[in-house]
Amino acid sequence: MNELERAGNGVNGQAVSKPKTLTSLEVYDQYGAMAYGIILQILPQVHLAQEVLVSVFSSPQLQSCNSYPFTFAACVIKLAREKAVEAKRKLTALVPAGAEYASGDTSPQSIFDLAFRQGFTPDEVAGKLNISKKEVLHSFHEFFKSYRNA
Amino acid sequence: MSKQEFIESGILESHLMGLANEEEQQLVAEMMLSDNAMSEYVNDLEDDIKRYFAEGSVPPPEAVREIILLRSIREKKGPSNYGVGETVDAKQYLDVEVNDTHMKVHKLWRPAFIAVFILSKIFLIAGLYFYFKSVAQQEEIDKIKTEMQQNNP
Repeated sequence: MNELERAGNGVNGQAVSKPKTLTSLEVYDQYGAMAYGIILQILPQVHLAQEVLVSVFSSPQLQSCNSYPFTFAACVIKLAREKAVEAKRKLTALVPAGAEYASGDTSPQSIFDLAFRQGFTPDEVAGKLNISKKEVLHSFHEFFKSYRNA
Repeated sequence: MSKQEFIESGILESHLMGLANEEEQQLVAEMMLSDNAMSEYVNDLEDDIKRYFAEGSVPPPEAVREIILLRSIREKKGPSNYGVGETVDAKQYLDVEVNDTHMKVHKLWRPAFIAVFILSKIFLIAGLYFYFKSVAQQEEIDKIKTEMQQNNP
């Protein structure tokens, strides 16, 4: 069980639920550093990253995490990535970035980097690496499996 | 799709990272509803993913927390509706402690400071002029007195 104590876990086949509603600041205190780390991985510019961090924890979408079927951590990870990728897209629209991936590298690490850090969708990653989307998704599983076993 | 195939497909990881499309999200929801053991697996997976990202945590500056705090206070108070003729309650303003060594004054103070500066210079120059003039006159008087004493012993 995690810190949010998923009450009713698996009962009647229901997904996890949360016992209480957290405020933006409480969520920030718990996951702010993690979210900032994620944003910096996607958007290394410190000032932009801080702006994105504020937008994550000021976002009305954060309140929807209270009804998210998974933990706040998962919701924050999702939201932080989404906002950082959005900001990165705006930035790269102004200053086009070069290809930041090793062409032909289909390792789970590389695929994870492309999808999570570079902001490509699994379909785009599959197109770039000339592999199927199924393989891309399987690589995510392999990536976390190897992390778990490491 | 069997449970094992579903787990190994990576759809769950994709969903938890926000990379899944609507169809995949629907599939995850269905699988979790149909299988209690799947919820257990998702719990473990969430913990792994959380642990992975927590390892890359970077403490943000304290100012970010202050901004989020101010924004959450503002949101709680609701959007401002200052219409024509409405009185603005002083409590609607946020007390912000500004850590700054500078102060702002009205623009009219600039010509006032310039006038005071120029006047002070004029008085200084006039003061010096009259001082040296009086010294010179005193010397002249002393000189005349000396000459008169010498001429009329």
